[in-house]
Amino acid sequence: MPQSVRFATVYGMYLENIRELEVAIMDKIRVLIAKPGLDGHDRGALVISQALRDAGMEVIYTGLRQSPKQIVRAAIQEDVDVIGLSSLSGAHNVLFPEVLKELRNKEAEDILVFGGGVIPLEDVKSLEAQGILKIFTPGTSTKVVATYIETAVAEHRGEKESHVLEPPKKVDHIGIAVHSVEEAASFYSNHFHLAVDKVAEVPEQGVKVGFLPLGNCKLELLEPLNSDSPIQAFLDKRGEGLHHVAFAVDNIQQRLDQLKKEGLKLIDEEPKTGASGHPIAFLHPKTAHGSLIELIETEE
Amino acid sequence: MNENDQAYDKWKKKVEGELSKRPERKESFKTSSSIPVERAYFPEKIDNAYIKSSGFPGEYPYTRGIRSTMYRGKHWTMRQYAGFGSAKETNERFRYLLEQGQTGLSVAFDLPTQIGYDSDDAMALGEVGKVGVAIDTLEDMEILFDGISLDKVSTSMTINAPAAVLLAMYIAVAEKQGVPQEQIRGTIQNDILKEYIARGTYIFPPKPSMRIITDIFAYCSEHAPSFNTISISGYHIREAGSTAVQELAFTLSNAVAYVEAALEAGLDVDRFAPRLAFFFNGHNEFFEEVAKFRAARRMWAKIMKERFKANNPKSWQLRFHTQVAGSTLTAQQPENNVVRVALQALAAVMGGTQSLHTNAKDEALSLPTEDSARIALRTQQIIAHETGVADTVDPLGGSYYVESLTDQLEEQAQKYMSQIDEMGGAVSAVEKQYMQREIRRAAYDSQKRLENEEDIVVGVNKFQVGEEQAPDLLKVDEAFVEAQKDRLKQIRSERDEDYVHTVLEKLKHTAQDNGNLMYPIIEAVKAYATVGEICHSLRDVFGEY
Repeated sequence: MPQSVRFATVYGMYLENIRELEVAIMDKIRVLIAKPGLDGHDRGALVISQALRDAGMEVIYTGLRQSPKQIVRAAIQEDVDVIGLSSLSGAHNVLFPEVLKELRNKEAEDILVFGGGVIPLEDVKSLEAQGILKIFTPGTSTKVVATYIETAVAEHRGEKESHVLEPPKKVDHIGIAVHSVEEAASFYSNHFHLAVDKVAEVPEQGVKVGFLPLGNCKLELLEPLNSDSPIQAFLDKRGEGLHHVAFAVDNIQQRLDQLKKEGLKLIDEEPKTGASGHPIAFLHPKTAHGSLIELIETEE
Repeated sequence: MNENDQAYDKWKKKVEGELSKRPERKESFKTSSSIPVERAYFPEKIDNAYIKSSGFPGEYPYTRGIRSTMYRGKHWTMRQYAGFGSAKETNERFRYLLEQGQTGLSVAFDLPTQIGYDSDDAMALGEVGKVGVAIDTLEDMEILFDGISLDKVSTSMTINAPAAVLLAMYIAVAEKQGVPQEQIRGTIQNDILKEYIARGTYIFPPKPSMRIITDIFAYCSEHAPSFNTISISGYHIREAGSTAVQELAFTLSNAVAYVEAALEAGLDVDRFAPRLAFFFNGHNEFFEEVAKFRAARRMWAKIMKERFKANNPKSWQLRFHTQVAGSTLTAQQPENNVVRVALQALAAVMGGTQSLHTNAKDEALSLPTEDSARIALRTQQIIAHETGVADTVDPLGGSYYVESLTDQLEEQAQKYMSQIDEMGGAVSAVEKQYMQREIRRAAYDSQKRLENEEDIVVGVNKFQVGEEQAPDLLKVDEAFVEAQKDRLKQIRSERDEDYVHTVLEKLKHTAQDNGNLMYPIIEAVKAYATVGEICHSLRDVFGEY
């Protein structure tokens, strides 16, 4: 074997070992929990710190009254993956973006930043738009926060490419329970001039399905095939009407795992094949604010 | 007639004697069915055990209340905490609340004021006017109380590390209004120990902080005898996640530390102790809360009489303010908070509070709007005027459950207090982070119980609904911050700079020499020295924690 090739192989192996070593060290997620500004309420910061430690992360808590500069300095020194900011005094709109700005100044934008505290819904959107990865509002379970951070860091480190933290791409379809696909279809045809482009029977689920394209979405008419059909049960209980909404997503299995870890109840823990031939799964309405939500993985 | 019956007769005669001077709200109280409502109800047989553990209302050990007629004489003071943005805006809210029938003022200061920074200090970035009103100089304080006569209202100020400065400003405003300082009534929170434990607005290390507090005790016992010099607070300890027992034990341990510090400074216990006030949390667990207030009174009476040998009955009486628990409010379905607040407030009234703040339903989201602040006040007024619970003293006294809880809370709190005494008292327990650790553990346990659904919070981990739109929230106008800074600049340019420098130097010397700090601080505020300048002068001498 020529010298150069041998060297490259050995060097390659060496590199690989270093990589493994790095992965082992990097494996533990490092988090800096910080209290920017003058606010002294640190119950939430302390509880989150403990919960993230229990979830296997390294957590450093800065203590009270940290300026954005001090926070960023500590984050760089401690080589953290994530900064968690907590504020209950209403100063979040000024101080959280300051932390982002300081991260940019120090070329440390690869550190992810999330926030929590007494933060009105209308501020959440603007803070997230400015680059705060996620704002967790009061009442969020520590499990949701820990799972979110795990996934966000794994994606950020490139260990995983699941996009499960991105919102669904669109509403794929809206499911409507009806006594008869034909009768309902003629209603949509007569009054809205919508046409059925496909009718299919899915015997394993006991339904007959009619699809009506509508913009970049579809209506899905659902008719029970037999008395055991879940659609029949729905009709008996509530009559005809809105049944479920389906979100188009990537990586349905990973998303289901994520939602389960976040504490949601799933009807289908594994995806199954839906009427359109795509993998689908339903979430339980009990932990979904009363709505039946379907996930569907489409190829686009 | 045995001697205990005689004791009852004696109490009854005494109360009847007092009525001629201070009549009750009504000549007689009765229920809707015309059943007469007695002043207080007692066991059939009043024995020594009863007298020792409960006693008569208004008498040692005050388990049943510190006044013999309690709310039959006068309702509790309805005192809503308010303050945001500029002194002018807050002044308008104060006048609104007074017009609505509120009976006392309670000032919330912004965090820079509470930690001794001026509005234009770099440390104040983003915080000016956010959680309370921004006060930089005496001028802000003059605007804050514009049109409100300080001899007519009692004012509570949530201020701790710079309490001496804000009290000095209050005295100066009173003087400008022509009200002598002997007449001012109110309370400063001034409880630094719980800041290290739970609230976080400390400036100086514990020892000089304790000295400022005893200086205030000494000054007020001489010059402002109707002003409560401290409000020893369990409220924030509970908000930080403690249990009811911890709230009780840590608050009373802190109180013991203040008494000891004052005695060490050479003050006479019966001169300062009657002006010590307390501040508790009104939490969810109804009967435990009622029992907590009763236990607190009994424990304090014993501590003051037996441990500190106070002779003045006023030194034995634990007077307290209650605020219902902000941490129990939910951002989800905020209307439900009105109900939570009403039940918590009811427990405080059943427990015999002297004053009460009811939270507004939107406080888990932001500062209260005028509407939600009004509903909060109305909640108290409904309890006072519609429910009849104020018509007899200590209505739950004698309940097997409540009496047993009262005893057990006392016993468990006593254990904690003995442990803190063994550590060398509250100051040293705080320095060793003992209470902080205990509270942190309790907070984490309670979060886990919530997530495992062992504890149910309606609308949060059970009975959720899809959230409606964001409700109307009060926004602090950011534009005022610049105006505040400009005004501060102007005051600095108009005042006598040399004189300010002189008084601040004098303040530093007094800080080094152990003289009473109140005198140079009053001089400094009258010279329009800022809160930040005064606190920085003291930082130079005392250091920062």
